[in-house]
Amino acid sequence: MKKMLATLLALVMVVLPLAGLADGIDGIDPAEFKGATLNVYNWGEYVDISVIREFEKTWNVQVNYKTFESNEYLWLQLASEDAWDVVIPSDYMIERLIAAKKLQPLDKSIVNNLDQLADGVKNLPFDPDNTYSVPYFWQTFGIVYDTTKIPVEEMEAQGWDAFHNPEYAGHVYVYDSSRDAFMMAEKALGYSANTVDEAEITAAYEWLRTMHKTIRPSYVTDEVIDSMAEGLKWMATVYSGDASYICSENEDMAYCAPYQGTNIAVDAMVIPANAKNPKLANIFIRYMLDYDASLANSIEVGYASANARVLEELSGPGGEYEGIDAYIPRSDYEKDEMYVDLPKEWQTEQPNLWAKVMAE
Amino acid sequence: MPKKSAGRFFTSGYLILVLLFIYLPILYVMVFSFNDSKSMISFSGFSLRWYESMFENREMLESIYYTLLVALIATVVSTVVGTVAAIGLSKARPLLKNIALELNNLPVLNPDIVTAISLMLLFLSVKIQRSIVTLTLAHITFCIPYVILSVLPKLRQLDDNVAEAALDLGATPVKALTRVIIPQIAPAIFSGALIAFSMSFDDFVISFFTAGVDVQNISMYVYSMKRFNPSVNALSTLIVIAVTLILVLANLIPALRERKDKKEEV
Amino acid sequence: MKSFVRMSYPYLLWIGLFIVAPMFMILLYAVTRSGNGTITFSFTLENFSRFLTDTTFLKVLWTSLRIALITTVFCILIGYPAALFIARLSEKRQTLMILLLTLPMWINMLLKTYAWRGILMNFDLESEVKVFIGMVYDFLPYMIIQIHTAIAKLDPNLLVAAHDLGASNWKAFTKVTLPLSVPGIISGITLVFLPAVSSFVIPKLLGGGNYVLIGNLIETYFLVAGDWNFGSAISLIMALIIILSMYLTKKLDRSDVKEE
Repeated sequence: MKKMLATLLALVMVVLPLAGLADGIDGIDPAEFKGATLNVYNWGEYVDISVIREFEKTWNVQVNYKTFESNEYLWLQLASEDAWDVVIPSDYMIERLIAAKKLQPLDKSIVNNLDQLADGVKNLPFDPDNTYSVPYFWQTFGIVYDTTKIPVEEMEAQGWDAFHNPEYAGHVYVYDSSRDAFMMAEKALGYSANTVDEAEITAAYEWLRTMHKTIRPSYVTDEVIDSMAEGLKWMATVYSGDASYICSENEDMAYCAPYQGTNIAVDAMVIPANAKNPKLANIFIRYMLDYDASLANSIEVGYASANARVLEELSGPGGEYEGIDAYIPRSDYEKDEMYVDLPKEWQTEQPNLWAKVMAE
Repeated sequence: MPKKSAGRFFTSGYLILVLLFIYLPILYVMVFSFNDSKSMISFSGFSLRWYESMFENREMLESIYYTLLVALIATVVSTVVGTVAAIGLSKARPLLKNIALELNNLPVLNPDIVTAISLMLLFLSVKIQRSIVTLTLAHITFCIPYVILSVLPKLRQLDDNVAEAALDLGATPVKALTRVIIPQIAPAIFSGALIAFSMSFDDFVISFFTAGVDVQNISMYVYSMKRFNPSVNALSTLIVIAVTLILVLANLIPALRERKDKKEEV
Repeated sequence: MKSFVRMSYPYLLWIGLFIVAPMFMILLYAVTRSGNGTITFSFTLENFSRFLTDTTFLKVLWTSLRIALITTVFCILIGYPAALFIARLSEKRQTLMILLLTLPMWINMLLKTYAWRGILMNFDLESEVKVFIGMVYDFLPYMIIQIHTAIAKLDPNLLVAAHDLGASNWKAFTKVTLPLSVPGIISGITLVFLPAVSSFVIPKLLGGGNYVLIGNLIETYFLVAGDWNFGSAISLIMALIIILSMYLTKKLDRSDVKEE
């Protein structure tokens, strides 16, 4: 009896660890992907690159990591059949991609850590059950400004109207994004950011033209982050994540989410229908949602993580972004709206109108 | 004569100023590539950190690799095709020759962006997925005209009789080509190849529209960097050094050969 | 030797595939009306009229031409004296100077422009000035080399003859050197003005987001708005302007030569 037990024990002690090895990482054997390349397409300045390198080492693969500047540009790239494995669009663009059948559903047996999602990014209107997408970062769009040039009360009182204030002429950056620009105008005028009423959109267009003529802004994209961190101008429209970076680098800077309401956006990871490596893509998505990768990314980039634990830690005591209220997006203000994709005519017309505003 | 030396002083001074202007950004970048801090405004100390960071930046290194690879292939192909085409066109009837040359000039005359978009539209309409292949094809397309523009004038200057004589003496057309014509136009082929290489190396707009998921050249990579990264200074410095070495060699070697020939004459 | 003509056939095929066909595609998109990338054959000239009747777009065109023009003028003003002085140096020094001028041409334009961006951050200048610095910087070597080539070709005996006939240095310059160097100036103009009109990278990087030029517009309509028809129309308009200017300057060159 004793001998049998001993043999059994010995067998178990040998077999168990071996079983663990065969299981690979969470049941998947890395050897399956040896030498594969994962094509990832993300926003610029939106990741801690060491997180990518770590993934490459763990899974013995190469990640081809490229960046894009706007949802509209991304749409055209996908329309031209460029094959990406993981893409990170914004909410309304995901809506458009789902409708155009350009995405494939996630493999929930691999992406099994959805319980780590923060409350603010659960049950999103464009994909309530996370069939296609896993949130990555979320933010509001607002104003970062130099409190030594524009007092807090003055900014909070104006909100978006600050962009019609001739006193600030020549000292303003405006982010080059047609959807967000129109949102500013629509909110200032009291309309919905998703309006398709021609009269309202025309009024918004005129509001933007007035803005252009009154304050002569510099139209920029991500270069605004370094510029405002260095205090080169008085105010800029930025995403809250960039604002938290700017505010943590320059203590004169503050962030205002205007009282007229603004946009809450969520950028989420999706897998295009023509992805060459969907299984690896799923693994990547799970990896990015997990605590370690989310923590590193959020610290590096400054955007609010979709991972609940990371969000709490970084905004809590001792956290990287403690006390910086730009970090957690305002999420219970009824005037804030998430974008819904506009109908086809407006998809080209709005960027067209915006191009004209900037060209005047 | 005081007037002459005053004039000399003025002209030399002017030229030095122009050279300073031309080299200002180059020298500035080289200095700041060794800067200890991220600033482009104040130099805080000597450091090699940006060179280290550049060699750790896989995307940057890949962009260098692809730039060189595409430039090399495009140069070789366009030089061969261009030279062959130039020889053929020099013997063509005026009508064919003129039409071909006008069309050949289109990529040179057309704004970069128009050529870029026309090629992108072509690839997309025929449903060819953009990749390093489409990128290289695009580069070859805009390099060939420069080769032809370099070789053709030299061909016109050639004395046809020499090649005719070779053929009369029984040489095959191929031999006439390789033994007679090509050696005479060799310098033009070489300078055409150099121009082709530099056009490909420097290109941004056409690459931006015709490259695919997997490729990015130096220009595309730098353009995609919205926030400033001082490793770019390190990259620029290395390119300046490489270019200087190449140009010095390219000019020294013929000069040394000349000296060698002169010595042998004596 | 006639058989050599056949050597050009492969390239003729290449021209058809990669030069003619693409231009034809642009033409097709420009004269049709449709959505993202699919072609429905309804011919129209509305893409052209949309551009030509809109003051905003015409202003963009005008700004591009204006910037290109001023850049060219500065290149001539700075470059002509430089070319002249170089031509007066010894052979060896001339070769050295030309070498020094061509070296920067090999360095990536984007890298040089980023360098200027770094330098100009130290100064509080109008963004238009910054754009001009960047543009002139990029094109100056081409202008200098073109003018220098023309001046260097001149027969020195012409100047000797002029002096023998009693002309002062200034008269010799204005009556002999300058007129005969005009072909160099003209080819310099074609190498500077035409590319400058379609330039959009330098104004975008140095202009601090204040400049929308023709090139930016085309980029926006193709890559952001997805309106390929309109984008193609703008491309064609720009290509036509440039090719027309090319022929005009060629005619100028020929007529000058004829007068002699």
